[in-house]
Order: sequence, then C-alpha cells, then structure tokens
Amino acid sequence: MIPELMIALSVGAALFGVGLYGALSQTNLVMIIMGVELILAAALLNLVAFWRYLHPDVTAAKMFVLIVMAVMAVEMAVGFGIAIARFRSRGSVEMEEARELRG
Amino acid sequence: MSLATALFLAFFGTAAIWFGVVVFRTHSMVRSAIALLFSQTAIGAMFLVMQAEFLGVLQIMMMATEMSVMAIFMVMFMMDPGGMGKMDMTHQKRLSLWAGGIGLVAALVVIWTAGWQGPVPDVPGADEQARLLGRELLGRSMFIFESAALMILTAMIAATMVAIAPQEKDSQ
Repeated sequence: MIPELMIALSVGAALFGVGLYGALSQTNLVMIIMGVELILAAALLNLVAFWRYLHPDVTAAKMFVLIVMAVMAVEMAVGFGIAIARFRSRGSVEMEEARELRG
Repeated sequence: MSLATALFLAFFGTAAIWFGVVVFRTHSMVRSAIALLFSQTAIGAMFLVMQAEFLGVLQIMMMATEMSVMAIFMVMFMMDPGGMGKMDMTHQKRLSLWAGGIGLVAALVVIWTAGWQGPVPDVPGADEQARLLGRELLGRSMFIFESAALMILTAMIAATMVAIAPQEKDSQ
C-alpha cells in the first residue's frame, strides 16, 4: 500500500461525493456549475496522484491533466453563456423554472 | 513513505474537502465562490506537495481567475447574492445526499481494495519535468494539444453567440 496515494485518492473521492451532492441538490445554474467544477477537480487530483505514485515516467498523464483543465474552462464558459441567455429571456437562472426545456 | 508529505497531503486535503462543503452550506453566493476558490487552491497545494510544480501553479492561477469571474456572475445573476434573506435554493436534498454518499463510498471501496503496491519511483526535478512536458506537447501529443485549442476556440465562439442579445427585427 502507498499511504500518500491512498490519502490523495480518498480526498478525491470525498470531493467527488460533495460535488455530486452539490450538482444534484442546487437549483441555481451557477451553483450547479460549481458542483461540476468540484467533480472535475477530484478527477484532476486522481490523475496527478496516479502520475506521481505509480507512473512518474509517463508524461502523457500530465497532458491528460491539461485536457481536463481545458474542459473545466470550456464548461464554465458555455455554462455562463447559457446563464446570460437564460437571464436575459427569463430574468432568472433558477433551473426549477426551466421546465419548458423538457420539450 | 515520507511522513511530512503524508501530513501535508492530509492537511491540504482536509482543507479542500472542508471548503468544498462550505460552498453548499453557506447562504451567501459570494462566500460560496470564495470557498470554492480556497478548495481549488488547496488542491493546487496538493499538486505542489506531489512534486507536480507546473500543474500546481497552473491550477492555482487558473482557479483564482475562474472563481473571480464566478463571483462577479454571482453578484449579477443572483436574487440574493449576499445571503441576507436566507433563501433556500436547494431541491431533492435526500436524493442528492444518497447519490453523493453512494458515490463516495463506492470510490472509497475501490481505492482501499485495489491494492496498489510500492515502491514509489523517483520523480525528475521541476526543470526536467517542464522539459519533458514541452516535448510531449509538441511531439507525441501534439494532435490532442491542438484539438484542445480548437475546443476552447469553439467554446468561446459558442458562448459568445449564445450570450449575444437577439437583435430587434425592423418592423418596416
């Protein structure tokens, strides 16, 4: 067993749980984005921990981390774009009021 | 095992989880954004402890700007950004708690039963890591790197197009 790896992965698991709770329980679009950010941060932590304690010779693992960081930035940009459009048309970013999106 | 490394990882990990919980516990949305910033910064500090210096600094810098933007959006869009009215902006709490709890327990079971074994290999120095990453980015992973750039460009255009106000139609 590698104790440092276990600590880092356990922190990642806890962040994933908290992020999942947040993304499911919040009604506000910006708060939902915050939950998703926490889930992605947990993924980042796991990737860096696996790189450091199992395969520090594989540089492609860091490439994977950079891609996840890019996904975080993209997710936030598009999410806020949708938030602006929603706020402009409905005056609110509460997802409880977005039932017409069901189709 | 380095005791100091384990202690620092545990300390910053506890801070990251604590501030992650505070994000959804406080009524003030601005405080939520700041708590998320602290949580992400603690994760960046964990990267530094794990000798991933470049990624640690990148994480802290990126999240500092990202969360500042998020705090501005909070003030713009929230009905009660300061949390003075103690509005409840949650739903399906029990389902969410169950989902988060099951996700946490499942991940912990996998982690603690996987049986990853040492010894832990040595890591190259920060300058050597940066050199290797540069070679990776402009060598074997160049296509992925360029695809990420294209993805960001597409997202920028899409976000701008979605956010632009529809133009008034000329009635004449």
